[in-house]
Amino acid sequence: MAASSSAGRALTLCKQFQNVLRISTAVNAQHCAANVTRYQNHVYRGTSPLIAPSWCSSPLSSAGQCRALHTTVSVRGLEEFFDLPENWGESRVKSGAPWTAKHLRTKSNEDLHKLWYVLLKEKNMLLTLEQEARRQRVQMPSPERLRKVERSIIRLETVVTERETALRLLQTGQEKARPGDWRRNIFGHVFWYRFKEYACPWYMNKRYKRKRFYTPNFVQPHLRLRIEKYLRERAKKANLEKKTQAKLREKFPQMKISSS
Amino acid sequence: MHRKKLRDKKNVDRALYPLYQLGNPQLRIFRPKWSLTLVRPGKEQPPDTVQFRIPMVMTKCDLKGYLEKIYNVPVGTIRTRIQFGSNKKRNHLNQRVKQPDFKVAYVQLAQGHTFTFPDIFPEKDGTPAEGSMEEMQEKFIEDEKQRQKSDPRRGGVTEWFGL
Repeated sequence: MAASSSAGRALTLCKQFQNVLRISTAVNAQHCAANVTRYQNHVYRGTSPLIAPSWCSSPLSSAGQCRALHTTVSVRGLEEFFDLPENWGESRVKSGAPWTAKHLRTKSNEDLHKLWYVLLKEKNMLLTLEQEARRQRVQMPSPERLRKVERSIIRLETVVTERETALRLLQTGQEKARPGDWRRNIFGHVFWYRFKEYACPWYMNKRYKRKRFYTPNFVQPHLRLRIEKYLRERAKKANLEKKTQAKLREKFPQMKISSS
Repeated sequence: MHRKKLRDKKNVDRALYPLYQLGNPQLRIFRPKWSLTLVRPGKEQPPDTVQFRIPMVMTKCDLKGYLEKIYNVPVGTIRTRIQFGSNKKRNHLNQRVKQPDFKVAYVQLAQGHTFTFPDIFPEKDGTPAEGSMEEMQEKFIEDEKQRQKSDPRRGGVTEWFGL
C-alpha cells in the first residue's frame, strides 16, 4: 500500500481520465508496486499511465520515474504523510478539480473503496503540511487542496450511502439504516429522534433521563400562540404579495407575468 | 472575504461505530473517517518515536490498526494523552474563546525503525523558470517599481519640499 500514493495521487488529482482501462492499469501498477515495495523499499512515482494534462501536478508527467525518499528501511510508510520531495518549499502546488458526485457514481465499488483511502491519505498529508507550516510560521502552499479533498470525501460518502440505501430497500424494505422514532421535545416540536447505542438500558441512564421527550404542561398554551403567530405571518405575506401585484397591475396594465 | 464552511459533513461525521464490550467480535471498519496529523515533536523524542495528533475518539488499538493496515508501518507501543486547548483567551467582546482539545499519540516503531521529521520548507532559489508566467510577472513588478521611484539626484529629499 506504500506505493499507492503514486497512482493514488494521479487518481486524486486528475479528475478526467478517458477510459476505465487506465484505472485498472493504475490498480495493477499499485498491486505490483506494493509487492515490490516490500523487498526493495523504493517508492515508485508516476508509474500510472494516466496522461497528465497541463493543469495536473508535474511530478506525474514522466512515467517510470523511481524516486526513493529514504533508501533505508526505516521510513517506509511514513513518507506518505509528506508530499513529493520536489514540492517541498514551493509556494504553489498545482492540483486538479475535486471529484463530483456525478462522476463518482460511474465508478465501481472497489474503485470507490480504493479512492476513499487515497483521499484519506492525501488529507492526512495536507493536514501534516498545514500544521508544519503553522509551526514554521510559513504559508501553506495551496490550501485549497484540503477543501477539495474534504469535498470529494463527502461526495464519495453520499454516493456510497445512496447505493447502500438502494440495496437495503431492495433486500429488506427498510428505508433507514439507523433505527429512530418520532418524538416531541420540551418545546413542543415533533422531530425524528435517531437511536444511539448505549451500554445500559434507558431507565438506568441518568443523562438520558434528563432529556425529557415530552412537553411540560406550562408549555402547552405557548404552542397555540406559536401556531397563531405562524399563520398570521403567512397571511401577512400573502396579503402583501397580493397588494403589490394589484399596485403593479394598476400602474402597468399590460403586465402579463408577475415580477417574482 | 470569508471561507465557506463545509456544512454538509453530515453523512461522514454522523456515522457511529458500534460500542465494544468484552466478548464482542472484532470490530472491522470500512472506510475510516479519522484523519491524523503527523507533527514535529516540541520536546526531544527518542529516534523511533513518531508524534501524531489524532481525533479524540480514536484509541491506541484503532491507531495501531490504522497505521499497520493503511500505511504499512510496523508499530510497537503507543502512548496517548489528551491536550487541553486553552479557554483563557478572550475576543473583542470579552468572551472566552476555546481552542479545540486534541489527542496526542506517541508511536514507537517496531523492528528497529527510526524516523526524523524532515524539513518540509527548505530555502528554495526564488528565480522562476525561463519564459514562464512568474518571470514575466516579476519583471513587470520590477519595472513598475523603477518607474515610481523618485529622482535619485534629489538625494532622498521628498517632493514636499519645493525645488
